[in-house]
Amino acid sequence: MSIFRLLASRILFSALTLLLVSILIFLILEALPGDVATRILGREATAKALEVLRSQLHLDQPALVRYFQWLGDFLRGDLGTSIATGRPIADVLGPRIVNTLLLSLFAFAIYLVLALIPAIIQAVNRGKMIDNVISVITLLLLSLPDFLLATILLFLFAVAVPILPALATISENSTWQEMLRAMVLPAVTLAIMMAVYAIRVLRDSLIEVLRSDYVRLAELKGLRPRAVLFRHALPNAIVPALNVTALNLGFLIGGVVIVERVFSYPGFGTLLIDALQLRDIPLIKATVMISAAVYVAANLAADVLAVLLQPRLRISR
Amino acid sequence: MTLATFISSRRFKVDLWRATPGPFKVGAVILVAHGLFAVLGFFWTPYGYAEMGAGLPLSGISWQHPMGLDQIGRDVFSRFMHGAHIVLLLSFAGTMLGMVTGTTLGLLSGYVGGWFDEITQRIVEAMISIPFLALALVMIIAAGPALAGAPVLIVFVVGLVYAPRITRIARAAAMEIATREYVAVAELRGEGTWSIVFREILPNAANVLLVEFSLRLSYAPILIGALGFLGFGIRPPTPEWGLMISENRNLLIASPVTVFGPGLGLASLVIGFNLFTDGLSRMLGQRPVAGA
Repeated sequence: MSIFRLLASRILFSALTLLLVSILIFLILEALPGDVATRILGREATAKALEVLRSQLHLDQPALVRYFQWLGDFLRGDLGTSIATGRPIADVLGPRIVNTLLLSLFAFAIYLVLALIPAIIQAVNRGKMIDNVISVITLLLLSLPDFLLATILLFLFAVAVPILPALATISENSTWQEMLRAMVLPAVTLAIMMAVYAIRVLRDSLIEVLRSDYVRLAELKGLRPRAVLFRHALPNAIVPALNVTALNLGFLIGGVVIVERVFSYPGFGTLLIDALQLRDIPLIKATVMISAAVYVAANLAADVLAVLLQPRLRISR
Repeated sequence: MTLATFISSRRFKVDLWRATPGPFKVGAVILVAHGLFAVLGFFWTPYGYAEMGAGLPLSGISWQHPMGLDQIGRDVFSRFMHGAHIVLLLSFAGTMLGMVTGTTLGLLSGYVGGWFDEITQRIVEAMISIPFLALALVMIIAAGPALAGAPVLIVFVVGLVYAPRITRIARAAAMEIATREYVAVAELRGEGTWSIVFREILPNAANVLLVEFSLRLSYAPILIGALGFLGFGIRPPTPEWGLMISENRNLLIASPVTVFGPGLGLASLVIGFNLFTDGLSRMLGQRPVAGA
């Protein structure tokens, strides 16, 4: 019973958070002092252009009315119309989200490998040379801005040794091999950026678990080291890393903005930048809302998973 | 030997140097080097940072131009040198703003509790849910064309992105400290809320906050660089390093050093900050924190 109440309250809080996000975004973009239309078009804009934009954004109505109208439409699935292109936002967003989802899945698969393998090597050889070497490498990578890492990889594998395309431009009629090749560099960049955070946490929690009584017991029972590691230690060590992974998903949403930009990948991130550059307020609101929703959902999922994976947490919370 | 003579003795200094963790030392040396470089670059650069025709455009590395020249013949090393103090100042100011706001809100919210805490936490939660880069960019757009590219705006944005994250840390520290005896004693003495928060809780949360400050400071050059890289940062021709990397990216084939020179500078600065933070957290007995 209590576990259901816990989950219900978490879901309720997530919904409340998203409601607050919508208020914040609206306040920042539309309710700041000063004329919204002038801020979008600049001071040189003609009176006529300003008038058209004001009517497009329904600026003649009070802010409170506009907010609830937007929220109501959003909840019913009507994301509004993009100012810059005049197309319904849902149509613009759809394919971009699919592209980013594909990229993220690809990146996530690489991330799992890049995070797990070094962490396991480190934990098993703790204090030895290889542990320190990997620590130094992760610290160096941690210090590398994502836009720089992307540029370095682009230089290495698209300019110096041209084996991969520099521009990840894909379209509806590219074959899946073309798409996969185009996605390698952006996906690897994202995966490395996420993995460097997880490796540290995973290593520390693995070391802690390897010292615990039940791992000792498993060793004393005479289980093979590999079985101890993969069957007993790893599943328990992954729980602390789950939160990092949820954080990482939050990072992934921010990271795609940069990485998609560097490789000109037609995804959600480039759409956000385009919307910002064109000051397409309805599109900005929709993209930011969706990215916040993804972040909140990821955290909710991590919480739920943590509860389900570790029985101890069910009681202590 | 009295304590005073011991502290002034050479032996104490040697012991202190030995006792500080290795990463702290390496980080401190890198940061001091960056600081000196920034001061030098503020007063003197080989060529003007916006001076066109300092040499043959795109002529690559030479003694006169260690980072080459960009396509309008500006000396990239001079630009890089001049940019150093800009990157450092923006990072410090932005992190400081976030620190002051976040610490005040977090300590108050953790100590006072109740409705104030509830409301603050919900707002903090909502702000953290918006990916920080998206939040920063939206705020820059909202500020409008008059403020676009102004250093004040960048400082403000970094501060506002950091504040909710720092609030969380400060709140957790305050909640823990609030249960201690000296806080109860101060309450019995009849001290006011502000006095308790700033006289009793703040000094005891100093270690946590110092590590947090250092951690945020490490990331600030990346955040500012990302804004510059995307074209929403400092206005050109001011040579902020992220903006330089973005400007020179189309020279990647012709003259890669114009990109990787400033890139190396930015990365080494962040490495210095990260090592410093790592060592600091060990010295102050805090767990090194990972995650954004």
